[in-house]
Amino acid sequence: MTKYNVWFFSSLLIATIVSLPIITVFFSFFNETSGYFGILKDTFLFDYIFNSIIILFFVIIITFFIGVLSAYFVSFYDFPFSNFFNWALILAFAIPGYIYAFSIIAFFENYGTAFSILTYLFGENNYNLIIPKLDGIKGAILAISFSLFPYVYVLTRASFYYQSSNYIEVGKNLGLSSKETFFKIILPSARPAIIAGLALVSMECLSDFGTVSFFSVNTLTTGIYNSWLSFDDLNTANQISFILLFFILLLFSIEIYSRKEARYHQPGRGYKPITKIKLSGKKTIVPLAICLLIFFVSFIFPVSQMIYWTLKFPKYFNDLNILDINLNTLLLVLLASLFIVIISLFINYGSRISKSKILNYLTNFSISGYAIPGVILAVAFITFFSNLSDFLTEIFNFKSSKSIFIGSIFGLILAYFIRFFSLSFNGIKSSYEKINNSIDESAYLLGYSKTKTFLKIHVPYLKTNVILVMLLISLEVIKELPITLILRPFNFETFATQAYIYASQDLLEAAALPSLFLIFWSSILILLSSKYILSNKN
Amino acid sequence: MSEIFFEIQKGFFTASEKNKVNNVNLNIKNQGEIVSLLGPSGIGKTTILRTIAGLQKLSKGKIKLRDKTLASDEIHIEPEKRNIALSFQDNSLFPNYKVIDNINFGKKRSNGHGPSINEKEIIKILRIEPILEKFPHQISAGEAQRVSLARSLMSKPDLLLLDEPFSNIDQSLKEEIQVSVKKLLKRINLTTIIVTHDSYEAFSMADKCGIILNQQLKQYDIPYNVHHEPNSIDVANFLNKGIFIDVQVVDSECAVHRLKHDELGEIRGKLSNNFPSGSKVKLLLQPEDLIHDDQSKLKLEVVDRKFKGTNFIYTLRTKKGEHLPVFVHSHHIHQHEKSEQFGIKSPIYIDHLVCF
Repeated sequence: MTKYNVWFFSSLLIATIVSLPIITVFFSFFNETSGYFGILKDTFLFDYIFNSIIILFFVIIITFFIGVLSAYFVSFYDFPFSNFFNWALILAFAIPGYIYAFSIIAFFENYGTAFSILTYLFGENNYNLIIPKLDGIKGAILAISFSLFPYVYVLTRASFYYQSSNYIEVGKNLGLSSKETFFKIILPSARPAIIAGLALVSMECLSDFGTVSFFSVNTLTTGIYNSWLSFDDLNTANQISFILLFFILLLFSIEIYSRKEARYHQPGRGYKPITKIKLSGKKTIVPLAICLLIFFVSFIFPVSQMIYWTLKFPKYFNDLNILDINLNTLLLVLLASLFIVIISLFINYGSRISKSKILNYLTNFSISGYAIPGVILAVAFITFFSNLSDFLTEIFNFKSSKSIFIGSIFGLILAYFIRFFSLSFNGIKSSYEKINNSIDESAYLLGYSKTKTFLKIHVPYLKTNVILVMLLISLEVIKELPITLILRPFNFETFATQAYIYASQDLLEAAALPSLFLIFWSSILILLSSKYILSNKN
Repeated sequence: MSEIFFEIQKGFFTASEKNKVNNVNLNIKNQGEIVSLLGPSGIGKTTILRTIAGLQKLSKGKIKLRDKTLASDEIHIEPEKRNIALSFQDNSLFPNYKVIDNINFGKKRSNGHGPSINEKEIIKILRIEPILEKFPHQISAGEAQRVSLARSLMSKPDLLLLDEPFSNIDQSLKEEIQVSVKKLLKRINLTTIIVTHDSYEAFSMADKCGIILNQQLKQYDIPYNVHHEPNSIDVANFLNKGIFIDVQVVDSECAVHRLKHDELGEIRGKLSNNFPSGSKVKLLLQPEDLIHDDQSKLKLEVVDRKFKGTNFIYTLRTKKGEHLPVFVHSHHIHQHEKSEQFGIKSPIYIDHLVCF
């Protein structure tokens, strides 16, 4: 029995808003186009698909090796700095692919940083010939891999963490060597987590816009962006989106499936945490060297490159209104995280107390937003609201309502909401589900009203998770490029857009300072949230 | 004005198609009475408690506390306004508050006007001093049940509902706590309904005991009567204290009624239900009814022997194939092995002849 109450209608509204991009893309597929799609189909479309798949393929391989290997070392061995690497490896999340891309170019380009270093060390010579040129697809693969591998690392590590040492002891007791134990017991039982991590990597990789666009690799995302920007053809953009969405939704279902499976591997009673094996002497070299290398390449390298440039070209300090950009970013972060978290709390609470099945389906439907790449979302967002505004003008003779949604802070927040609602909703839901229903009922029986129960029991319990979710949304908003780039108000820059605009104008040196700020704030958010995650475990 | 403290009139309780109890009439006459509801798991006992508490709606009928109607076809008073405490079977402690704070949650109830109680005393009786500063996830299931009970008591309810309140508590501690909780409930005169599937608990705690079987309240009586005079075969079978044997009524008019069994011979006692002489009935035979006597000529074959601590239960077989249970005190000097003959004191005398 479904009651058509306030919870039902608000969940319906949220589900509708979040599914706007998918619906728009779907309907556009059957629309007339300018004919550009036809041309595209005969020329570049298969290049787009091919490039996207090639990049995806290599990124999966690289992130798998880096992620699983580092997770394995820090979970099972105790070596110098292993506790440091445990959290430091997550810092790579602070560096979006496009900023990593700037660093690669800055370092390897002709007369770039590598050239300067060699000159400093060995004197003048034409080193340009021997320095590898990591641009185009190669560069994109590297940049994306090193910015995304933490997904695999974090999920695999969590799965290792919850792996009971019972299994490992049983394996040894049955006579397996350490190598056999790893391949026959440890790795298979972490498989769902690894697949979930790789699926996330794949989704993000296919969604990536900044990196491939900077390396001028034509993929589906740049195709969408170019159709919109250069040809002003929203329909073609949406039709390419349709193809990309097909791949993404495939991956999305893999991810959901493996998450479900991962749940069966949660520890039950009799769980015994792993005792790390203490390494000493020569044995520490391999794990230490590998972790150090990954940490260096993924974090230290781009950060020092950006610092080096910022110091080398101080004149850009004056060109940039740092304070404004900080305030803009802060504004977006605060509005987005508060707005999204409050609505998630509201919807979570609603589906909790009304216990309706339809409501559950609706909310499950609303979480698909995270799967939609930012570029698709932004283009579909524009498509929908242009059409809506045309429609309103035609029927009611409204003055253009376009500007309310497109190129406004409100529209931007709404788009962030569509993209990050699932992150926040699920984050809060996971801890809400831990509050047994009889706990609510006990509170009612002790004379507490529903509101009082929410404020006195739920809120204190959810507090940690709400803060964590807000930190994660903030992190995503700071790093977000395509949505912000396409939907931001005129002359309203964030670190991400400012860095990207400089870089696309070939002013890489100028992009260093905003990039550095972006990394700085992201790192702080990551450190804060990892502190919360760790304290949650106790 | 009715004088009845609590009353369910033709109450229908539904949680699902399977899990429901129909047409319940139950009253608690005086404040301070303790009532137990006994029945197998999953029969809907918990549903009744939840409905009384207001967490579920009554499908049909009426529930009254004092003169106030709590639930009826038109009325549904919200749980927070009923002043009825329910102590859940599973852990329902607020996870982010310490044990002591959880207990205090009960104390802060604003509209509690039931009997008041000393917090220190209840903490002592329920043995929760050592865990007061712990969080719910750090204590055992049995401890959580006791804390939950303490929290309910602290809220000064008019009516206390306990759902399997002692199910997770160690056997050794259980009986002691049952005794002291009963004493306490009696002293503060708090009316209580206990749901349990443990007949020992139901009988020892309560003034009155209700048996719920097949979606009905089958019997509602004082525990002694429920045990000795179950009012239907279902109730007797559920209490699982004995077996039914076929007998014939020989004489039901005299002061001592007489029955006859083909092999056991004459059985004397007092019939709980009246049957005309000559009718064929089923007699409930409980293990304590037959008395061992080596000198007796009435002998049956032993087919099984179980050691139960204070006594043995022998299972004897009649020629017709009936298996009769018999208690023998375990200090009894000698034991009988399987397939040996076992003497029974005859003629047999049973106080309550429960026949159907």
